This record gives sequence, C-alpha cells and structure tokens, in this order.
Amino acid sequence: MAIDDIYGAGMASGWRVLDAATFTASRTLDADIAIVGSGAGGGMAAEIFSQAGLKVLLIEEGGLHTSNSFKDMDEARAYRELYQEAAARATSDGAISILQGRSVGGSTTVNWSSSFRTPPHTLAHWAAEHAVTGHGEADMAPWFAQVEARLNMAPWEMDPNPNNAVLRHGCEALGWEWHVIPRNVKGCWNAGYCGLGCPVNAKQSMLVSTIPGALAHGATLVHRLRVRTLDHDGKRVRGLTAEAIGHDGYTPTGIGVTVRAQYVIAAGGAINTPALLLRSRVPDPHDRIGQRTFIHPVNLSIAEMPEKIDPYYGAPQSVASDHFQWRDGATGAMGYKLEVPPMFPGISAGVFNAMGEDLKREMAALPHTNAMLALLRDGFVPDSPGGRVRIAGDGSPVLDYDVSDYVWDGVRRAYLSMAEAQFAAGARRVRPAHLDATYYTSWPQARAAIGQLPLKKFRALLFTAHLMGGCAMSDDPARGVVNSAGRHHQLANLYIFDGSVFPTSIGANPQLSVFALTAQNASAMHKTITA
Amino acid sequence: MAPSHAAPPDASRRLFLKVGAGFSAAVACTALLPALTGCGTSDTPPAPGLAYLKPADVALFRAVLPAIAIELEPMPAAQRHARIDAALKNIDGSIAAMGQNGQAELRKLLDLLSSTPLRWALAGIRTPWEAATLQQVRNFLARWRGSRFATLNAGGVVLVKLASVGYFVLPDTWEASGYPGPNPAVYRALQS
Repeated sequence: MAIDDIYGAGMASGWRVLDAATFTASRTLDADIAIVGSGAGGGMAAEIFSQAGLKVLLIEEGGLHTSNSFKDMDEARAYRELYQEAAARATSDGAISILQGRSVGGSTTVNWSSSFRTPPHTLAHWAAEHAVTGHGEADMAPWFAQVEARLNMAPWEMDPNPNNAVLRHGCEALGWEWHVIPRNVKGCWNAGYCGLGCPVNAKQSMLVSTIPGALAHGATLVHRLRVRTLDHDGKRVRGLTAEAIGHDGYTPTGIGVTVRAQYVIAAGGAINTPALLLRSRVPDPHDRIGQRTFIHPVNLSIAEMPEKIDPYYGAPQSVASDHFQWRDGATGAMGYKLEVPPMFPGISAGVFNAMGEDLKREMAALPHTNAMLALLRDGFVPDSPGGRVRIAGDGSPVLDYDVSDYVWDGVRRAYLSMAEAQFAAGARRVRPAHLDATYYTSWPQARAAIGQLPLKKFRALLFTAHLMGGCAMSDDPARGVVNSAGRHHQLANLYIFDGSVFPTSIGANPQLSVFALTAQNASAMHKTITA
Repeated sequence: MAPSHAAPPDASRRLFLKVGAGFSAAVACTALLPALTGCGTSDTPPAPGLAYLKPADVALFRAVLPAIAIELEPMPAAQRHARIDAALKNIDGSIAAMGQNGQAELRKLLDLLSSTPLRWALAGIRTPWEAATLQQVRNFLARWRGSRFATLNAGGVVLVKLASVGYFVLPDTWEASGYPGPNPAVYRALQS
C-alpha cells in the first residue's frame, strides 16, 4: 500500500523546497521572516506567518526525510538521518545521552507523540519566580485548544500496548495517579514506530502538518543549510550567514548562503539556539545565553514480565503517572513523571549498557521486557540550576550539565518508584539501569538494594530527550534573553520561538508547550509588525 | 564533570589529569605523557572506507565487540567478520556525526588505548589488540566499569554503548535480541 509522502505532490505543484546540498554557487535569499529551525517552534511559526501573507524562509540544518524513507521502519537509518549527531549526542562529559531530532520537522518528526499541556504549576512558577507575563493557565488555554485541534491531539482511545499497561497496572495496584496520554495522531496504525519517523504520516509532526501548510501558502524551505551566524549591528539583525551541508548530512560543501530578512526567528531548540547566539556574539550584558539549560534527566528501570510485552510494538507512550510529580509542590523535593519508552534493540542495548552473558540474556529477553522511565523535573529550585551551553572551537554546541545532590535524590526515589510499580504489576525481576544494580526478585530486595546504589555519573545511566532553556524568557532583562513575548532584549527584530525560552523544565513532554507558546507569541508578533 | 573543574587550556591533558590520582606516579615514571598530548594518532588518516576510526581504533573495536556481543565468538569466521564490519560501520558513522567536543573526547580515549605502554598501564593489556584474548578484553572492560575512577567508568560505559548499539541495530542480530523485526502487518502493507 503506497503512502502519499505529501512532498512529492506538493513540490510537483510548485512548493518551494530547496536542498542546499545541491547548490553549486553561493546565493542570497530574501525574506520578510527568516526562521532558523523547522521543529516545533519553527514549523508552527512558519505556518502562521505564511498564512498571514508574509514571505517566509524556513531553514533546516538536517535533511528532508519523508514517509518514503520511513517505511523500512529501521532503527539504524532513523538514528543516522533523523537525530542530532546520529543519536550519539551527549553532555560534554558523555554522562547523559541526548536524543534530539535533526531533520525537517525537528524533534516532532521523531518524538513519541505525547502531547501534554504545560502543567499549571509550571506556568504559575514562571509568573511568580521568573517575571513571565501573559502565559498563565487562562492565557494559554485558548492556544492549547487551538493547537490540539490543529494537530488532532486527543487522549489515546485504543488499549495501551503491554509496555504501557505495566505502568497502568502498577499504578492501579498501588493506588497511584495515572492518566491516558493525549497523542497528536490522525489515523494511527498503532505500529509503534513514532521514534523512527512515522511511516504512515499519522503522527501530526511539523513535517506533515504545518510545514506543508506553510509551503502551500508560498513559504520557502531550505534544508541541509546550517546557519553559522545571525548578522547584526548590536541593535538589529540584518540577516543570516549560512553554509550548505553535503549529502552526508554533516560536511559543509563550501557553498555559502546569505539571507536578508526583516525579522529573524531563532527556533533551533535548546542547545542549538543558544549556540547560534553565542557564535553570533549577540549582545548578552547579563551573561544569560546558554545558562539554565534543562533536560528532564531520565533514569530507567528494566523489568522482566511473565507475559509477552513486545515493547517495540504499539503506540509507544499512552500511559503516564504524575503521582510523584507535584506532591511537594513545584519547589519541594524533585518531582518526576513516570512513563515508558519503546524498546527497539538499539535503544535497548543503550539502556542496558551491559556486556557478555548479561547483555545476551537481556537482549534475548526483550519480548518480555518492560522498561519504565522517570522524567525528573529540573530547574525549580536553586539546587537544580540546570546546565550550560557553550561552543567548541568550531562553533558547535557543547552542553555542560552537572548533577546535584538534589537531582540524585530524585534519581534514587525514581528508581524506587519504578521498581515498586513494576513489581506491583507482576514483574518477575527488576534491574535499575545502573552499573552496580543486578536483577532483584522482590520489591523488599529491590528497595534495600536501591537504597545503597552509589549515585554518580556513569554508574547511574542517565538519558534525556527533552531540551529546554538556555535562552530564558523573562520581562526582567537581567534574567532573560528574550521577554515574555519571545522578543530579544537587545536585538529588536530577533525573536526566539522554541523550547530554549522556557525558564525551567516543563515537567512533561514539551512539544505542546512549544507549539502553544509559539502560536501565541507568533500571533502577537504578527500584530506588532508591518512587513 | 562539575562546572568547578575549569578545563585546562590543553584539553587533551584532562583525561590524564582526571585519571591522575591513582596513576600519575606510574605514568610519570614511564614518561608517557607525549602519547596523551596529541602525539598519538593525530596524523593518521581514517581506515579505508571509514570516516573517523583509524586502523588502531578498528583493531580495538574488533577486539571489544566479541567481548560485548558474545554470540560473535562461536560464529563461522566469515559471518563473524561480516557482522563486525557492519557494526564497525555503524560505530564509525555515529562518531563521525558527533560534534567537535564528543569527537575530541573519544579521540583521547582511543589514542590512550592504542598506545602500548598506556594500554598496559591502564587496561592491563600489553599485546596489540589483535593479539588480546577475549578474557583479557573482558577483564579490561569489567575493571574499567568497576573502577572508582569516573574517567575509567566513562571509558568502559562509552565503549560498551558504542559497540552494543552499533551491533544490535543490525537486522542480522534480531534473532539474538528477540526482536521479531518491523511490526509485521504494517511492514507488509507498506512494502506491498
């Protein structure tokens, strides 16, 4: 059965889509609005401004990969083509693995489709502690509703797959809060391959929704184009200096591209947007760029279940628990959200980080394996200051992220909660993803052992898929890179619409937070400009 | 790494300095510093057909892969070599896509392990990787992963991650992982 990849017909009908890898001579592009990055922020902004009749140029460093190339449903291809640094991105010391998207559609092309509104606690905390205005729960509600309608977000109506059912059963047995996850899908086949690029265009990523919407309204998309610098005079941005990337996806071809634009929107996401501003020597009188970068540190627990789990098949995330997320308020001990990840063989090997007989046994047991993860909510107290983005000699981003005792305390409690839930759901044995952990066969045994695990980088295996902050919004220029409307404090025609503006982590999978904040701020920006 | 550890100007010395507490005396005695400060394999080009891994790195991963994925050992030689070559290609592709910082950190680790005296001192293996026994490689990885030095833990964790992920994303390994392959009903529908 052939799936229409959308772009073939669109380009045949005149969509302007340029692959910079094919450029043979330098060129200059003009736009009313140049958008750097085509993920949740850039994709959403592109549609809004294109529909408003403005000339939009959408720039993506990664390639244009569509459902035609996703139908192999292959993990290695996905990591190579759709993820930052081929899914080998990590914090500067290598201790925390980072999964972040890099292709047209950004992380929305590869995320697991979880679509949560920004928790009200988080929005209230921003207003109270970070001088953020206009983004309270009531202010945001219509924007959430608008995006939910646009991207078909609704709680998953089918049964959870067995991997998610383990979390539900554990919560039910223990009397913990749990809920069904809203997903941005339309005609989902329940295959389970959201993370490798949806092969049937059911997931309403930017790739299949707002970017086609923008292109149909005359926007230009240039992919495999890396923006090196925002060009400015200290007060305004003139445009961009960019370099074409070759067909390998990484090596510059030597062909330069200059962009002239009335307005620039930075939307490369946390890590890449702060790095772009640092490379560009954007005014930063209060040393805010790159500071307070948050990641939702993730730790995991692996369970062998008596029943068949097939943790690679079926909607990857459909059940979550906030039982431990807000129990001490926003600023108490570190809160965490419990979810499950899909366990394909490659990502499983990464989570197991085992060798020899141990690895052989764990890989062979995959069909009966449940993995649980905790998203640790960082950034809400002084002991959780997040990390810092800086740039390497060649201008590429580097994220330093230290793990404080406050965070380690959350890691330990999360290991305990996950093991308890897994045993309550009937697990035969449970192993925290930690070098010193073995398989425990009962909850009391696990509880005692987890209490003794040394919590250090490289012993506790840490991951993240949620990058936030680094260009915080705050109406106080001493505390933010942009104001609450997303406008840069020093460069009048520079806006940032992506997860880098969050003053803390979100406390939930962040895509809807980026979508709604961008929709709100882009619409407000549109009212203020006459292009 | 704590932010308070300001990186020294010569970043290539950091690995040495962080390992330092236990090994500095031995290392100083044998005057091995040059190998850690850029005189390693920096001028050697990547192995043929690869973008990042040098011949010495290839030898290391060829030795490490069967210690991590033990089903390789009893395989017929031709099959084993094909499997290892395919995994090497994945490992190379991952590192080649890394940013400058990640590549530089790995270069230090790989250069250290390609230097005979340092390999002997830190990994306990005095032969070239090609001649190391499976048991020696297992012992080396286990010792690094169990060490009280975070830098050695890092090396052990990163090598296992690169090798095991690069190996288990190969469709040929699905039998060993119990992964039945792409969701059959959907896959069939899409290929037809």
